[in-house]
Amino acid sequence: MRIETGPLLEKRAARASRILVTGAAGFLGSHIAVALLRAGHRVAVLARASKGRSARDRFARLAAWFGLDERTTAALEVVEGDVLDAGWAAAESRGGLAGIDEIVHCASSTAFSERKRAEVEAANVDGLRNVLDLAVRSGCGFFHHVSTAYVAGRRTGPCREDWVEAGPFTNVYEETKARGEIMARDACRHEGLRLNVYRPTIVYGDSRTGRTLRFNALYYPVKAAVYLRDIYLTDIRERGGRKAAGLGIRLSESGGLVMPIRIEVAPAGGLNLVPVDHCVRAFMAIFEDGLDGGIYHIANPRPTRIEDLVAFGKRRFQMEGIETCGPEAFAAQPKNALEVLYDSYLEVYRPYMQDTRSFDTANAAPILGKRGLVCPVFDYEVFLRCMDYAVEADWGSKLFDR
Amino acid sequence: MPRIDDRVRATAAQCRHYAMCKIDYLATGLCPSGPEKHFVTYYPQGRMDLYRGLAEGRIPVTEALVEAADTCTLCGVCDPQCHFATGLRPTSVMSALKGYVEDHRREKGPVVRTVEDEDLRNIREIVGRDWATNDPAVLWTYADDPFPLAPPQMPRYVVLPGTREEVAAIVRLAGERGLDLAIRGNGGSVFGFVFTDGVVLDMSRMRTIEFDLDNWVAAVGPGVTSFELQQEACRRGLRVNAAEPAATVCGNLVCTGTFSTWSNVYGTAADNFVDMEFVGRDGRIFRLNDKRGPNHFAFEHRVAPSPGVCTKAFVKLHPMTDDEEGLLVPFEGLDEAVRFARELGQRRIGLALAVLGAHYIATFLTPDEGLAGRVKAALPEALGINYVVFTIADRFGREAIRMMAPAVIDSSLLRLLMLGLPRLVEPRWLDLVRSYEGGLRPFEILCRPEMRPVIEAVLQPSPETISECVPEGLRPFYRELYARPEMTDMVWLNMHRIVSARMSRRKHMVAFLVYVPTDRLDVIHEVIGGFGRVAGEHGLDHDFGFLTPMDLGKRAILEYDYYIDHTDPLEKDKIARAMPVLEPWLDALAARVPGVLSLKYVFSQGCARKDGFLYRV
Repeated sequence: MRIETGPLLEKRAARASRILVTGAAGFLGSHIAVALLRAGHRVAVLARASKGRSARDRFARLAAWFGLDERTTAALEVVEGDVLDAGWAAAESRGGLAGIDEIVHCASSTAFSERKRAEVEAANVDGLRNVLDLAVRSGCGFFHHVSTAYVAGRRTGPCREDWVEAGPFTNVYEETKARGEIMARDACRHEGLRLNVYRPTIVYGDSRTGRTLRFNALYYPVKAAVYLRDIYLTDIRERGGRKAAGLGIRLSESGGLVMPIRIEVAPAGGLNLVPVDHCVRAFMAIFEDGLDGGIYHIANPRPTRIEDLVAFGKRRFQMEGIETCGPEAFAAQPKNALEVLYDSYLEVYRPYMQDTRSFDTANAAPILGKRGLVCPVFDYEVFLRCMDYAVEADWGSKLFDR
Repeated sequence: MPRIDDRVRATAAQCRHYAMCKIDYLATGLCPSGPEKHFVTYYPQGRMDLYRGLAEGRIPVTEALVEAADTCTLCGVCDPQCHFATGLRPTSVMSALKGYVEDHRREKGPVVRTVEDEDLRNIREIVGRDWATNDPAVLWTYADDPFPLAPPQMPRYVVLPGTREEVAAIVRLAGERGLDLAIRGNGGSVFGFVFTDGVVLDMSRMRTIEFDLDNWVAAVGPGVTSFELQQEACRRGLRVNAAEPAATVCGNLVCTGTFSTWSNVYGTAADNFVDMEFVGRDGRIFRLNDKRGPNHFAFEHRVAPSPGVCTKAFVKLHPMTDDEEGLLVPFEGLDEAVRFARELGQRRIGLALAVLGAHYIATFLTPDEGLAGRVKAALPEALGINYVVFTIADRFGREAIRMMAPAVIDSSLLRLLMLGLPRLVEPRWLDLVRSYEGGLRPFEILCRPEMRPVIEAVLQPSPETISECVPEGLRPFYRELYARPEMTDMVWLNMHRIVSARMSRRKHMVAFLVYVPTDRLDVIHEVIGGFGRVAGEHGLDHDFGFLTPMDLGKRAILEYDYYIDHTDPLEKDKIARAMPVLEPWLDALAARVPGVLSLKYVFSQGCARKDGFLYRV
């Protein structure tokens, strides 16, 4: 090992460890960076300039969103760079990122679609390779790799906290994340780096406040439904509702909107949702206690049924007519335009909507249990908080307005 | 001295000389004085120049200037005509010009009346008193174009002949008197090629079109515009390979060989006509098909002079079927789009055919430049459309294309998109499309027939919706305009080329055209990359234009455009520095790769057989 446990703990305790967080302008990366900062660690964050904003500007905006005080923000070291740039690792290991003690690698693409394969492979394989290269060159002693529980691929039943050497995988995301884990394992073994692999399931907003930085995954189908609801409400109220009527959309007696959308679900399984607050607490616990390296699932032991999610959405947004059904329903009546739209979107999420995998937590449970960390249930109250925040932030467009 | 309004002057200076005010392309009627007087001076384009000329102190108040101002009735027709293509509203300039002349009169300022010299007297004996002038105001409207590298050059006379015999007599007279001649088809040339200190021949009075349906030709006089010919051909259920709408048929044939998206099936250069009549430089009249005449069907690999003054072209007419419709096939990448277009050419599927970039699509479809910018950004970023293959095809062709392409925007979907464009770029909708994670690309979802009702609900396509993007005063006009079926009919629009006239709306455009071999994607990238690189190095605004396969997909014509504010001296400097870099680079590429040729070498050799410049044996 490059660094023994004793010196590692001593350095951390003295807050002398310089910890680099990649992907720190992203959803989970920013939350982890802020948690490390708040715990008093010496944090360097790596991010690209994007849409005309420098990495520093992006962080200033994020710091305000997190409500960081000036002193904490000032302690943050912002490094602008793109892990995909050729020669990035070599240059940084001689420059700004020389002398990094630990790396938390969060930079990742979460796209599932095969059409985005090149982009996903670049981020999840090539980018990781470069960060590992930096780790090797910079004297880093501990590599924290944020992966996903879904490296398990197309398995059913229990999935262990163990290496996944081969597929089959559901999509390019799972495949590249699994390849990434093996790559990290081999590099760290070869170079004597400690390696923790963190495997959350689907991460959504803060269960206590509803706050989030991303409105994809769980949020997208709701956002789409609300958008369509508004379009058809306008059509009915301002233009006589001819277009709505063509699709069987109408106002209900209670004043809500009836949108006939059938969503195909399997009889078993559900969606494994972890709120970002729990995910970060779990990460911090494992970061602090999991010193010997290992793989850790951060999952919800109680997945959410799609039927419940649909019911939550209908209730919160006064939508009716959205129903779950089995595949046989479409044989009797073909899909309408709204169902085609939903189906094409949900197609990539279907494996996660009817997930019958269970994620073993033999490694994570003792650490989390010791601190009394339990993953919150995704109930209507949590859904409500999350969706209220989404509406307040206009599904992201007003995220930084305040 | 009357006051010049700087804001109005700036508008006047932006006139692109596209001459769209000289054709009745929106069925609004023309500026009343134009068709009566024929000189461009009496069209809105000329009056824009007059105001600019006064503002810059280039011209005095002359008799013709006063008459040009007085004959403007402020009917307002030029506003929608010009706005549709360029986004400009000339009425404010017309009004200011009239105001200037009124103030000048009130102040009892002098009105210059030029003296007729001997040459002018002789010219007038040939064409008649009304059709030749040396009035400086008229001369000024034939002295300049937006192309900033050609400085203004005042001719001595502007002459409007009425017959080929008059043309021949003028050519002989000019020869005898040592006067240089420049021929203007429609009083405008965006490249600044047609200026002289001698005689400008404006052919606008020679506007006859005679159809010979047994021989599938129309005999076209040199003042006839492409729009007018196409309109007349259409009335007879026929079609010609048309140039830009305001370009004259004969002038464009001689200068460029006339190419369009229809060149995929109709070819270019000598493919376009059965015969042409010229007045040679010696004043003799000859036909190209005359075996004893000069051989202008041959192509010379050098910049060559034109055969003379074209006085008639026997233009080929083509049949139409009643089931033709337009299609757009969207693509993420250029290579796949070019391959697809080439395959259509090879398989003889479709009629008009082109690969268009996001810039042209957005510009052509939108009546407002601001909206065009948003659409241009949204197409690739949200919908994944960087290029489209545009084609017009009959029902068999469309069926074949649907089988070949993953997604197709058919004519009915395009109509929805065109009429709903302001909603297409509405932030909430774009955000939804952008963050769509499904397995299909966003445009594939958009193109699915089942999605039509949702798209209709989202876009609310209607003449009212699309008119929202134009200034309020023009909305009633645009609402009526877009209620006309032809305004969303890709076949009609593409045949008459009125929306492609919008390509220089952003700024004045300097277009580069290069013939390329379609099977050499590396060369096509080299050409596009080269233009992009030079533009980037010189800080010029630039974009890919289009690519149209020809001759069964073996070759293509490719357009790349630079955009400059021609009134800005800094922009002039940039283009002046860029042009000398482009020429040797393109020449070297042409020498190295068979099938590469800059259109520069075809200028004035448009009567040649295309095989002479597409292939080199």
